[in-house]
Amino acid sequence: MQAQFSKAEVASAPEGAVVHDDATAKWFLISSVTYFFIVGIIAVIIAAKFVWPDLMGTMSWLTYGRLRPLHVNGMLFGWLLAADMGLAYYVIPRLCGVKLWSEKLGLATAILWNVIILGAVVTLLAGLNQGWEYAELPWYLDILVVVAWIMFGVNILMTVASRKHQAMYVTIWYTMGCILWTAFVYLTGNFATLFTTGTNQANLNWMYVHNAVGLIFTPIGLAIAYYFIPRASSTPLHSHKLSMVGFWSLAFVYVWTGAHHMLHGPISQWLQTISIAFSVMLLIPVWAVVYNLFATMKGQWHQLRESVPLRFLMSGVVFYLLTCFQGPMHSLRTVNAIVSKTDWIPGHAHMAVLGCFSFFAIAGTYFVMPKIFGKALHSEALANWSYWLLMVGGLGFFVTLWLGGFWQGWQWNNWSIPFIDTVIALRPIWLVRFVSGVMMFAGIVLFAYNILATALGADERAAA
Amino acid sequence: MFQKADNNALWAIGLSLALFFIGGILTTVVPPLVDTTWAKPFENHDPAKGITGKVVPLNDLQKKGRAIYVREGCWYCHTQQIRTLLADTKRYGWRGVDAPISTPDEFVYDDPHMFGTKRTGPDLARVGGKYDEQWHKTHFRNPRDLVKGSVMPPYPWIANDPAEFKALVAYLQNLGRGKDWRPANDYEK
Repeated sequence: MQAQFSKAEVASAPEGAVVHDDATAKWFLISSVTYFFIVGIIAVIIAAKFVWPDLMGTMSWLTYGRLRPLHVNGMLFGWLLAADMGLAYYVIPRLCGVKLWSEKLGLATAILWNVIILGAVVTLLAGLNQGWEYAELPWYLDILVVVAWIMFGVNILMTVASRKHQAMYVTIWYTMGCILWTAFVYLTGNFATLFTTGTNQANLNWMYVHNAVGLIFTPIGLAIAYYFIPRASSTPLHSHKLSMVGFWSLAFVYVWTGAHHMLHGPISQWLQTISIAFSVMLLIPVWAVVYNLFATMKGQWHQLRESVPLRFLMSGVVFYLLTCFQGPMHSLRTVNAIVSKTDWIPGHAHMAVLGCFSFFAIAGTYFVMPKIFGKALHSEALANWSYWLLMVGGLGFFVTLWLGGFWQGWQWNNWSIPFIDTVIALRPIWLVRFVSGVMMFAGIVLFAYNILATALGADERAAA
Repeated sequence: MFQKADNNALWAIGLSLALFFIGGILTTVVPPLVDTTWAKPFENHDPAKGITGKVVPLNDLQKKGRAIYVREGCWYCHTQQIRTLLADTKRYGWRGVDAPISTPDEFVYDDPHMFGTKRTGPDLARVGGKYDEQWHKTHFRNPRDLVKGSVMPPYPWIANDPAEFKALVAYLQNLGRGKDWRPANDYEK
């Protein structure tokens, strides 16, 4: 049974058998790439505000406190989740050997998703902010998100239910897991919080924030990596059993760790200790996944020279390993006392969401868009440039913030240093972060241009 | 058990939700039932038992101030928690008195909670009464007029709107005051 997955199914997924429409995947991907570009502008502006604090500062709707949630929500929901959903609409029907259950429902979901994102732009700039991180959107938009998610979930699950192949590849479990866990994680963070206050509410808020990354972006991101790494390299997955270890340990371990955002804070010590223990256990699913994907590439690394999607994918795996090594480490009380609340944390968060999961989504988009449109990618050279700009800009961003954050944390622990001196000390760090951010943005521009040019047929070459 | 999930979608769904709910329920529903201090407002009138004071609900003006604090995203750069770290109690103390550690019973009336995650600016858990109203007015108009090197944005639309400014200051001056930590009522107005 296991051989069936690793050899036949992945390397030569039966694409010829069924003619796929892909309209839903197409519209999700095009809109998400567009938001990636637009929200990238916001990202560069808020990085600039650290260097020039008066920049656009006298207009209330352009102040830092309103642009930051727009940046976070725009990147998470406008770009990344939408791109992941678009790729799921492409991948799942292929792994099931059937057409998507309903393209009409899919297109309606795409329209609703765009309504939500545009609603988010208006409400966040107007300052209609609920006051919870990642859950800033007002309740009426939250309800639309739930409706859209049910529409997405029904479509994918019905496709799985009507599948031709009895055995399900690991990508299908991760996608189903994402759909179900997200439902409960999102309800906890956006609705259960409405009935609580104080520490109780904060605990639910952190359960949501942490699992938004751990049980939404991680499973859907890994679903994509598990599909596209074997696919883009035409190599079977190393081990089915190891992918099971990774999946089931993730399902059990991740949800316990929310309270590690409150270490040393006003929350019960025993709950902090539980969150630390389970954070360290996260090394198990992470190592199972990373080893499996690395072993898949054994003897195939030379392919990275030729293939931009594969390079994004494997760089994403390395960033996944680094992020998930950092996570358990800063859950330890001693390390946490230095890095918590510092600029280290945005360095860590950006490596997870940009360095890992966005790299996966970018790779998937580069891989499928030419196939969907039946054309060659507009420009391989630009794709190559987009990789290096995102990679070098990203590394500059992450590493600078780690160094700066660590330094900042040490300064804070010496209370004879006035707080403002620790702010002034970080100004060079923020300047480098801004420059790195501009490089990353340039990479995003090239990526978005390349994808949109492929879609619009700026280059009429037929697919090779 | 796990093998079966390879071929049976319902089994896979059921198992992944079951595993998720063990940790999910034990870390969200159970903790407030076990630790009752999360829901009981701080109150102590006996100096022998430690710091005295009483946490009461915000009045209408302070609530309006909190809404402004939420709207402008102040909480993205300012935390509200004195952690169990010596550096926190020392750094956020005032005039030689250490700031008391924040405890869950101080935040029972906080909705939304404003614990925060990032300190681009200093912690504000005990800022109430440290600076007077005129200081805040100047600071909101342009932080760099008072604190050279600050990267806080200016907030002229608050400083120049008497109703909004009054509400926000009323909220800030109340922060951390549920524990009466300053000796001889040494709070600025």
